[in-house]
Amino acid sequence: MSVMVLRVYDKPMCCSTGVCGSDVDPALVRFSADLDWLARQGVSVERYNPAQEPRAFVTNPVVRRALQERGDRCLPLVLWGDEIVSAGEYPDRTVLARTAGLSPVATVETGGAA
Amino acid sequence: MKWIENAPRHLFFTGKGGVGKTSLAAATAVFLADRGKRVLLVSTDPASNLDDVLGVALGRDPTPVPGVDGLSALNIDPEAAALAYRERVVGPVRDLLPADTVAGMEEQLSGACTVEVAAFDEFTMLLGEDGAAAAFDHVVFDTAPTGHTLRLLRLPAAWSDFLDTNERGATCLGPASGLKMQHERYAAAVRALSDRDRTLLVLVTRPEAGALGEAARSSGELAETGLRNQHLVINGLFEAADRSDPLAVALEQGGRQALDDMPEVLRSVSSTRIPLRGENIVGLEAVRRLLAREDGSSSSAPAPAAGEVLSLPANTASLASLVDELAERGHGLVMVMGKGGVGKTSVAAALAVELASRGVSVHLTTTDPAAHVADVVGASEGPLRMTRIDPEEEVAAYRAKVMARAGQDLDADGRALLEEDLRSPCTEEVAVFHAFSKVVSGARRELVIMDTAPTGHTLLLLDAAGSYHREIMRNVGDREGAITTPLMRLRDADYTKVLLVTLAETTPVLEAMALAEDLRRAGIEPWGWVVNNSLAAAGPTDPLLRSRAVEEVAQIRRVAEDLTQRTFVVPRLGEEPRGATGLRAMIDPPTRAMTQVA
Repeated sequence: MSVMVLRVYDKPMCCSTGVCGSDVDPALVRFSADLDWLARQGVSVERYNPAQEPRAFVTNPVVRRALQERGDRCLPLVLWGDEIVSAGEYPDRTVLARTAGLSPVATVETGGAA
Repeated sequence: MKWIENAPRHLFFTGKGGVGKTSLAAATAVFLADRGKRVLLVSTDPASNLDDVLGVALGRDPTPVPGVDGLSALNIDPEAAALAYRERVVGPVRDLLPADTVAGMEEQLSGACTVEVAAFDEFTMLLGEDGAAAAFDHVVFDTAPTGHTLRLLRLPAAWSDFLDTNERGATCLGPASGLKMQHERYAAAVRALSDRDRTLLVLVTRPEAGALGEAARSSGELAETGLRNQHLVINGLFEAADRSDPLAVALEQGGRQALDDMPEVLRSVSSTRIPLRGENIVGLEAVRRLLAREDGSSSSAPAPAAGEVLSLPANTASLASLVDELAERGHGLVMVMGKGGVGKTSVAAALAVELASRGVSVHLTTTDPAAHVADVVGASEGPLRMTRIDPEEEVAAYRAKVMARAGQDLDADGRALLEEDLRSPCTEEVAVFHAFSKVVSGARRELVIMDTAPTGHTLLLLDAAGSYHREIMRNVGDREGAITTPLMRLRDADYTKVLLVTLAETTPVLEAMALAEDLRRAGIEPWGWVVNNSLAAAGPTDPLLRSRAVEEVAQIRRVAEDLTQRTFVVPRLGEEPRGATGLRAMIDPPTRAMTQVA
């Protein structure tokens, strides 16, 4: 079996932390930091923005079906392999860690992981 | 003329607006083509008038110019470039994704950031050996006024650096994500620009302190980015033929004085001088004459009949009546707009100084990265506050604000990631827009006179206001009336008065008309027009100045009769208006200015 990948399908946006938008969303900034953390734990992470890589939304059958059934509301969509981890919201670091089978993590505020 | 005969592959014409960049770039391209070279003339100015000068409709692809063998021209239109870019991304999936997702993608790809990136992308393509420019011996660039061009010429290095140092795979490439693939192309563009065998920068100026100062600034800043092969063209040298005409004598002396005081950095640059012409440079014949060798018959426009009376149309007024109207209200926003070089900064400063001298509180501000309102006004009298939107300061402030707000809950790695994102060149657009919005809403309480950056730059700002407005509206949803965006204030004629500044010459009037159309598309109706620096209003007797003045009257009539309800005419002064006294001379009715001179 191939290596499991965490894939994030974002809402259309200018950039993944939202610093270019009309207002910076702290939740989005935090999520970007969490993904960065996850990647540093050795987990493969891929992130797609429809405004940049629209093909990714069409070629993945799970994403395509979710979009057809629920429209834009299913974004952001987070997949672990072919499983949907969350839809319409950004999961926090604890959920991400559990999904990837990592040991429980210290909270973000206190800094580094266990 | 050695600089043309030995011209390298790329020639960049830059300078303050109105110095004659487009005319000279066109004349140079025609000159080279007439000598058997294959030449591509490119305008990178979002408000270009190359079409009018050459008399041919230009688009994104090279169009042969009728009447000149070997010459083709094209326009990099940022909006069109952005549209094409958007279609490349969205087109293939339009029918495969839900409509709301597609709409969201299009929205994200219509901001100022995309516009800039897409135009920049086309620009670097022309610097490469392949692409549209491959079939030509020379590529002549007619660039936007200085601030914009400096940014364009620095971007290859900026993006190149950002891509180099952003090791985590750069999240904020935004609409520029495609740029990752183009990294090598940008590095090549940087090399081409800094290679003196391949690129010559032509600094165009008038014999005026302001234009020379700006040429000096560009010379220094562009040399720093590697563009060291430079040539200076001093355009529009004037010699008074009628020594009894005080305006003519003052203009001649002013020009000589400005050249005597030429900034040190320009003295080491090789230079060419071109005399003032009595005609507008429109059409191929006039374009060819501009660089024709001196044969003593430089003025080819018909001399006006002796004694012909120069009179302005009756429905024009001086700036004094505009000041009366503004003083009465005491608050609101006055946006002074126009193509570079028409004297926006002077007009804005003159209004502010006059209002302050009448005791009205005024906030004079500028969004032009190259403008220096404080230098123009000097020591201020009365309740006058002066500020400027400085892109560098705004970016620093914006970064600090985002780090404090969104970065407070992050660990060190998270903050490092956010800091990296905030180094994206896109951030400047956003930061400047935030500062602009703040000034716009400040006009609820005070009278704000805003000197805007040259047209293209300002349109990008308005565009940002438009995408911001749509994004906010989408988020707010049906809570209509709950929020006021900057665009809504700009569209409110009670709140915002847009003054279009122009010169009484064919090309500037056409440019102002194009700007008026752009504004209308954004839902903003220009409130009045200011015809600045008018020789006709100053009533010269010198034959060359008179022949220009006669041509002016037709243009002023066109503005006053066809284009606006309110036309204000400002006479040409003997010297550049500086300081409170100089600026207030612009306010005086033309007749009074004339009798004072006589």
